[in-house]
Amino acid sequence: MSVRIEEPDGIVLQARDVRFDWSQVPLHWIPGDPVASHLINVLHMLLPAGEEWFVRVFKEAVPHIRDERLREDVLGFIGQEAMHAASHDGVLEHFVAQGLDVRPFTRQVDFLFEGLLGDRGLTGDRRRSWLNERVSLIAAIEHFTGVLGDWILNAEALDRAGADPTMLDLLRWHGAEEVEHRHVAHDLFMHLDGTYSARLRAMAETVSMLVALWQRGHRFLMAADPIVQGRIKGGLRHLRRTGPAGLTPDGRMMGASIRRYLRRDYSPLREGSTAQALEYLASSPAAQAALR
Amino acid sequence: MRGDIPPSLFGKRPRDPFWVAANAFFNGLERVRSLRAPVVRDARPVDRSLRLTVRAVRREAADVVSLRLAAPDDRPLPAWQPGSHLDVLLPSGRRRQYSLCGDPADRRAYRIAVRRLPAGAGGSLEIHDAVAEGDSLSVQGPRNAFPFLARERYVFVAGGIGITPVLPMVRAAHRAGADWRLVYAGRSRASLPFLDELREFPADRVRVRADDEDGVPSGADLLASAAPGTAVYCCGPAPMIDAVRAAFDPSGGSTLHFERFAPAPVTDGKPFEVELARTGRTLRVPADRSALDVIREQIPTAAYSCRQGFCGTCRVGLLAGDADERAVSDAADDGFLICVSRASGGRLTLDL
Repeated sequence: MSVRIEEPDGIVLQARDVRFDWSQVPLHWIPGDPVASHLINVLHMLLPAGEEWFVRVFKEAVPHIRDERLREDVLGFIGQEAMHAASHDGVLEHFVAQGLDVRPFTRQVDFLFEGLLGDRGLTGDRRRSWLNERVSLIAAIEHFTGVLGDWILNAEALDRAGADPTMLDLLRWHGAEEVEHRHVAHDLFMHLDGTYSARLRAMAETVSMLVALWQRGHRFLMAADPIVQGRIKGGLRHLRRTGPAGLTPDGRMMGASIRRYLRRDYSPLREGSTAQALEYLASSPAAQAALR
Repeated sequence: MRGDIPPSLFGKRPRDPFWVAANAFFNGLERVRSLRAPVVRDARPVDRSLRLTVRAVRREAADVVSLRLAAPDDRPLPAWQPGSHLDVLLPSGRRRQYSLCGDPADRRAYRIAVRRLPAGAGGSLEIHDAVAEGDSLSVQGPRNAFPFLARERYVFVAGGIGITPVLPMVRAAHRAGADWRLVYAGRSRASLPFLDELREFPADRVRVRADDEDGVPSGADLLASAAPGTAVYCCGPAPMIDAVRAAFDPSGGSTLHFERFAPAPVTDGKPFEVELARTGRTLRVPADRSALDVIREQIPTAAYSCRQGFCGTCRVGLLAGDADERAVSDAADDGFLICVSRASGGRLTLDL
């Protein structure tokens, strides 16, 4: 019997000083399934540059916040995102050391976040407007990180498939912190701008870019993998198998979550469970080691 | 250059057609949007502070008082959960965090308890000496940095005034029918608040240890009743938490929970000066404070996060001077983490 306690609320967000030892983690960390492994590995190539960009944009937003509690949330969020970026970077170095050179792809991801979405040297209202635009994009992206975080915390099929425990701990620690801070980017966007048209635009741009990067990233990994050597062609069509098998998120789940995001009364707090996220963080080997 | 369109993934083309198209599309969109002057409004200020009245001041132990706080019109207060705290703004302008130690089901009042610390920074003395029944206090919160999670077995370890967040947890665990134990330790029985309230619970669940009768407990003494699969919630002075951390055994599914008061005290600090290059101002950092604390008084919007030197959020460019590189990551580049790193002597010039 587990004791019933209500869903925790008003959590103070703090970064956790986690470390991972990648040396024993195989390239195909879902045993015998390079296709599903790489569908998730695409995230490792997007997250370091993406989350460093979150940190830069949110640091620029901090002086404009007129709500002390939101400012504390944003500062906690920034520290957590910085740790996520650094941890996924560690995975990428390990991939390169194993002969999977991801740098041509991460070079393109850098172009997206530092070129297209970078600092444009604007001033005055145009600078503020560009800041708000990027905050709206982060709010849309954070909707997906929250949904994916909730998915990975419940992805029991990965345990059954014998997925590598260190990789699962990285993904679930990260996913749990995404669930823990899932309201922050949306709260910041609503505080600074809040217009529905900006939300709509940000979601359209995010979905298009996410689908394109996921497709391109998977095809790239399957082609560059030193073991697969291009024998299996990558692409999102594989989700039709891996999604229902529970090894990756599936299209239907993502589609339903987009429809929820587009409702005018959307609240990120209705996605996922803070209690479940905190319970995982209490037992995560990496997060527990950070306490000692 | 980061801004240049990258080559295609397998090097066939110097500019990947996907990014040529994405770049043209996105920049075109932005150009069309920029034809209209942007409409930017400043964020609406949000004030979440509550003005509460001190309804009762009660002596709970030799040097501990509790305050009962309620809205002037007795309206229900925001809900809270075990582990939550309030930020109390004292008449002097000091801001202190105190755990809520009342009953979450009582929505009319909050209760906090404060130990008098003569050597502290003055917040506790102010509450003891300057706050009386009928006074008004401004508070923020509740917020929770010590969340209480559903488990079957708990061991609570409280040291002295550390009982405050633990007391509501004990009550919640008892109400929920969980298997729980409390070890409550302090210098002497007279110094321990809320012993009377703990008598409501079965005597075999509560163990009170006074240093002057039983000696200072070791981490193993405190965790003696923690079987495998137990959630250990600990709140007390830093040496007690360190002892519990060292003695804690995570095998068998046990988990350890304690409130992470982010900034650890400065150890072996020497005073130094920081010059903020953008304004030319020079600030003195005393031996017992971090550069971040001092800089935030001048630049309240300076970004920081973990305050322990690992997340890197507060990194600023070090333009001149020698840093002691307390943060692991400092050596990697010319940056400087203002939350923990200090000057190895003299003055530092920062890009702020």
